[in-house]
Amino acid sequence: MRDRRHFLKLTGGASLSLPWFASQATASSSSERKPPRRLAFFYVPIGVVRKAFFPGEANALLPAGNNFDPKKITGRESVKLGVQDFPNTPTLEPLQELKDKVSLITSLDRTFQIGTDVHAQCASCFLSSAAPFSVSTSAWPLARTLDQIVADHIGQDTPFRTIEISCNSHKDNRESIYFDNISWYGTGHVAPSIRNPRKLYQRLFSTSEIDSFRNITDLALADAKDMQRELGQGDRRKFEEYFESIRTIEKQMNRLESLKSELANVTLEEPTDSHLPRGEYIRLMGDMMIVALQSGLTNVASLMIGPERWDTPFLFEGLFEKPMSHHQMSHNQRKFSEQLIEVDKFHMRQYAYMIERMSAIEEADGSSLLDNTLFTYGSGLGDGSTHQYNDLPIIVAGKGGGGFRNGIHLNCEESTPLANLWLTQAQVTGAEIEQFADSNGTIESLLV
Amino acid sequence: MKLMDSMRITLRPFCLADSVGVCFLSLAFLTPFLGGSLAAAEDTAQSVMLKGKSAQLVRNYCIDCHSGDDPEGDFLIATADEAKTPKDVEPAHWLKLINVLKTRSMPPSDSERPADEEYLSTVEELQMTLHEELQELPIPTTPIRRMNRAQYANAVQDLFRLNVEVFALPEKMARDYGYYKPASGKMADSLKVGSRPLGKSQLIGKRLAGVAPFPQDLRAEHGFDNRGELLTLSPLLLESFLRLSKSIVESPDFGPKNVGIWAECFATPAGWKSLSRDDQNILLRERIQELLRVAFRRSVETKILDRYVDYAADQIAKEQEFSEVMKSVASAVLASPKFFYLNDASAANSDEASNNFTLASRLSFFLWGSIPDGTLLDLAANGELRKTEVLREQVQRMIEDPRSKRFCDSFPAQWLQLERIVSSVPDRQLFPDFYFAKFRASMHMMLEPLLVFETILVENRSILELVHSDFSYRSDLLTNWYQGGRGSTPPTAIPFSRVKVDDIRQGGVITTLAAMTMTSSPTETKPITRGAWLATVLLNDPPEPPPADVPPLPNDDPELDKKTIREQLSVHRENAACAGCHNQLDPLGFAFENYDPVGRWRDSYENDLAIDVGGELFGRWFRNIEEFKQIVLAEDRLFAEAFTRHLLSYALGRALEPVDELSIAEIVERSKDDGYPLRLVLQNIASSPAFLGN
Repeated sequence: MRDRRHFLKLTGGASLSLPWFASQATASSSSERKPPRRLAFFYVPIGVVRKAFFPGEANALLPAGNNFDPKKITGRESVKLGVQDFPNTPTLEPLQELKDKVSLITSLDRTFQIGTDVHAQCASCFLSSAAPFSVSTSAWPLARTLDQIVADHIGQDTPFRTIEISCNSHKDNRESIYFDNISWYGTGHVAPSIRNPRKLYQRLFSTSEIDSFRNITDLALADAKDMQRELGQGDRRKFEEYFESIRTIEKQMNRLESLKSELANVTLEEPTDSHLPRGEYIRLMGDMMIVALQSGLTNVASLMIGPERWDTPFLFEGLFEKPMSHHQMSHNQRKFSEQLIEVDKFHMRQYAYMIERMSAIEEADGSSLLDNTLFTYGSGLGDGSTHQYNDLPIIVAGKGGGGFRNGIHLNCEESTPLANLWLTQAQVTGAEIEQFADSNGTIESLLV
Repeated sequence: MKLMDSMRITLRPFCLADSVGVCFLSLAFLTPFLGGSLAAAEDTAQSVMLKGKSAQLVRNYCIDCHSGDDPEGDFLIATADEAKTPKDVEPAHWLKLINVLKTRSMPPSDSERPADEEYLSTVEELQMTLHEELQELPIPTTPIRRMNRAQYANAVQDLFRLNVEVFALPEKMARDYGYYKPASGKMADSLKVGSRPLGKSQLIGKRLAGVAPFPQDLRAEHGFDNRGELLTLSPLLLESFLRLSKSIVESPDFGPKNVGIWAECFATPAGWKSLSRDDQNILLRERIQELLRVAFRRSVETKILDRYVDYAADQIAKEQEFSEVMKSVASAVLASPKFFYLNDASAANSDEASNNFTLASRLSFFLWGSIPDGTLLDLAANGELRKTEVLREQVQRMIEDPRSKRFCDSFPAQWLQLERIVSSVPDRQLFPDFYFAKFRASMHMMLEPLLVFETILVENRSILELVHSDFSYRSDLLTNWYQGGRGSTPPTAIPFSRVKVDDIRQGGVITTLAAMTMTSSPTETKPITRGAWLATVLLNDPPEPPPADVPPLPNDDPELDKKTIREQLSVHRENAACAGCHNQLDPLGFAFENYDPVGRWRDSYENDLAIDVGGELFGRWFRNIEEFKQIVLAEDRLFAEAFTRHLLSYALGRALEPVDELSIAEIVERSKDDGYPLRLVLQNIASSPAFLGN
C-alpha cells in the first residue's frame, strides 16, 4: 500500500478535489464546457503468454523455442467473430471488477518489415503502424505516431502537446531508442520518453527546468543578437528561424508557468532518486501521467511498462526472489510459463490500478477522467516466443468522451489492421482524419 | 568578314530546364505549356558572341536543329542577326553547351559529328571564353545553417574530448573495429567491420546515457546532408538542442572518466575555496575563455566572455559547487547558436582574422565533420593558416588524424546514395539467399564500397580506382556471393579481407553488389534507375525528374515475355519526345544488364534471351561493361571533374554554381599529373579559390 499512500501524498489529499484541479474548469469561462478528450497508452513489452491471456486458447500448446510456428498455437478459431462478453482468463483476472469499463479487442494485426530485429519494430512502430516499406528512407516502417497526430488536434493548447513515459529501470545503456520508445514525431525523429520519476516530476510540476532553460536562453539570445548584427541580408533572413523558434518555446513556457502558479499552491513531494520496487515505480509513473492528464498539463500521454528485448535481469519485487529477465524467459515459455504469466498478470494489475485511479477522478461536468479518456493496453507482439505480429493483445479502457464502447470483447475479422483501431480512436478523440497508416476502415462495433 | 567569323548564341533558360535535361522512366512529350514559357523566355534570353572555331563548329553541326521556331530540345542557338542586344553570359547555359560537347553527347550519334580534334579545340575555346566571364563573378558563400546531426555529435565529442559517443548515429554505416589507421598509409589485409544501420547489436556503442538525438538530416536531392539551405531550425528542433545541452552535461556518464577536458575545465581547482573572489574570477575566466574559443571556433570577444563569466560567478556566489557551475556554463555554450550554427561570414563584411577562423572551421567540417582543434585555431589566430605550405601540412595532418573517419562515414555513402541499399528488398522467392536469420546480405554488401573508398584515402590511391581497382574488401559471404553462392554471417564485426581483383567487371565501387542491388526492383533490374544513378554518381549529371504525366509503357503486347527489357524500352527511342533524354540515359543503365537484381553476374536472361549491353559513352561505342569502364578510365578527366564536383559541393556545404568551374578546373589540372590520388585532390580542394573564399 505504500504506493497508494505515495500517490495521495503526491496529490495532497484523498478527495482529489484540490484547488488546482479546479483550474481546468475555471480556466474556461463556461461551466458547461465539456472536459477535453484524452488519449493514453499503456505499452507492454515482449508480448504475453497467449494461453493465459486469450479466451479459447487455454488448452493451446506453449511455444517451444524461439521460432515456433504460431499456427501451431490453436484455440482462437473457436472464438466466434464479433461482439461478446468480456472474458475471464488468468491474465485478465485483475480486470474482472472493472469489466464494464474496458473492452478486449482480438485479431488485430500489424505487419513486420523484414530487415531489423523483431523487437525493434514491435514497440517503435506500434503506434505508427505504417505499411512495410512505405517509408523508403528507413529500415523501420516508422512515421508520425498516433499520439502525435491526435495531439496535433487536441494538444495545441496544453503546455505539453504530449507526455512520453517509460518505466525502463535498466541501468545499462544497452539498446537503441527503437527499443525504448513508442512515440515518434516522424521517421527517425523520436519523441524521447522520460524514465526517471524525478525528471518526470520536474518536467511536469517544477519550474526549475524552465528556469534553467530561461537562464540558458537568455545567454543564447544575447549571442544570437550579436551574431545577427554580423550577418548579411540573406543570412539574416534565414537566421530569423532561430528567433521564431525561441519565441515559440517562450510561449510554451509561459503557458506552463501560468498553470504552474496554480500548481504551486499545493505542496507536491518530489520523488527521490532512490530505488523504487518495480510495482511502485510503475504506479508512481502512472500516477504522474494521470495527474498530468487530469490537470490540463497534457491531453495525450504514453507509458511504456518496459523496453523491448533488454536482456539484463532485474528484480520484480514481490514476484521473484532473484532478478529475472523478462525477455530471456519469454524465449523459453515451456520452462518459464508460470513466471511469465505472473509477469503478465503483474502488468495487468498495474493497468487495472491506473484505470481505477482514472475512474475515481471527477471532472467539472460530473463525468470521470476515464469517461473522457481512451486508455489502451497493448503489446506489439502477439506472443513473446513466436515473435508474431498478428493477434495482438489489445484492451481499451474508457469512453474517450462518450463515443467508445466498453464492457465487451470484440473478436475482429482475421487480419484486421491494428491501424483500424487507431483510426477509430483518433476519430473518437477528435482528430478529423480519414485514414491512418495501413488502416482500411474504422471499427464500427466499438462506437457507441 | 568579322560577321562571318562570329555569331551569337542565345540559350533559353526555360527550355533548358524542361527538356534538354534528360527525363527517364518512360515516355515524355513536350507539354503544351512550353509554348507559353518560350514566349516568356524571349525577353530574358541572353546572348554572347561566339568566335573562331567554336562558331564554326556550332554553325556546322548544331545550328540546323537548334534554330528556328521549334528548336530541338528547345535549346535554341540563334545566329547573330536573330539575337537581341547582347547581354552578359548566362553561364549555366554555357556550361550545358560545353558539357554536351565534352561528353560527346551532342550531336546525336546518328548525325554527322565533328572529329575528335575539333571537339577538343572547341571545348577549350568555349571554356576559355566562359572562364574569362566567370573571373568577374563573386564566389558565393554558404548560407548560415545549424549543424546536422552527425556534425553536432562529432563537435560535442571533440569539444569535451569524450571517449564515448554522444548518441548513436545509424547513418554511420561501417563500424570501425580498430582498423582505420590513416597515418599508417596502409589498410590492413584483414579487418573487422560492423554494419551499423541494420545490425542487431551494432546500434549499441559506448555512449552518454540519457541523451536523445534529434532526427537525422536527409541528404539533398543531388547532394549531401550538409547542404546549407536545407539545414533549418524549427521550435521542436531548437527544443531538442536546448534539451541536449542539458542532458549531455547531466548524463551520469559525463564525468572525469569519459570527459577528456575534465581536469582543465570541470575539476575543482586546488585550493578553490581559499582563493579570493578576485582570484576565483580570474581562474573562472581562463577556463571559460578556452571553452568558448573551442566551442565558438574563434577568439572570444570580451563582451561575450563577460556574459558567460557573470553567469558562472553568479552561481559561485550562490555557493554552487564548482564542477556543477562549469557544467552549467558548458550547457549554456551548447545551447548557444554560436556553437550549433555554422556561419561562413562573407568576405564583404568580415575582416581577415574572421575569415581565417572561418577557413579553420571549413577545413575541420570538411575532413573531420567537426569543430577545429587547438592547432587549427592557433594557426588561424596568427594568420598562418592561409599560407600555402602551412595549409598543405594541416590538410595532411587532418587526413592522417583518426577523425578523418568521419569524412569516410559521411561522404562516400552519400555520394553513392548507399542508404538505398537499406530499403532494398529483393523478392524472397526469387532470391531466398538474400535473407538469412534476421539479416540480409545487403548488410555485408554496403560495406564493400565503403572499404574500397577508405583504402583509396588511407593509401592515397587514384580516384580512378573508384571506377576500377585491382583490389577489394570482401567478407566470406560477399566472396561467395560474387561466385553465385551464399552465406549467412551475422553483420556484427564481420571479418573482411583484402582480395585481389583482376576482373574489371568487379573492381571499383560502381559495379559492387550493393550498387547493383539497390538500383534494382525486387524482381528485376531497372536499367533506367541504374542509368539515372550512374549519370548522377559517375558523371555528376543528374537527369531532370521525369515529366509528371508519363503514360505507362504499353503492356498489352502479347509478345512482351519474349522481349528483353531493352526491347521493351525501345519505345523510348522510337518516340521522338522521349528519345532526347532516354537516348542518353538508357544506354548507361543497359551497360549493367549483366548484373542481376542482386548484383550477381549473368550471361543471359532467365528466359535465355541474350543480354544486349552495348551502347555509346563519350562518343565511343562499348560492347560490354569491360569496355564501358575502359572508356571511363581513358576519359579520366571527365570522371575526375565529375567526382571533384561532388567533393567540392560536400566541402562547401552548398550546391555548386558556374563560377565554381574555375576551382574545378584548377583542382583537376593540379591533380592530373600524379594520376589523381585522392589526398592530392583533397589538398587541391582545400587550396582552391572556392574553398578559400578568395
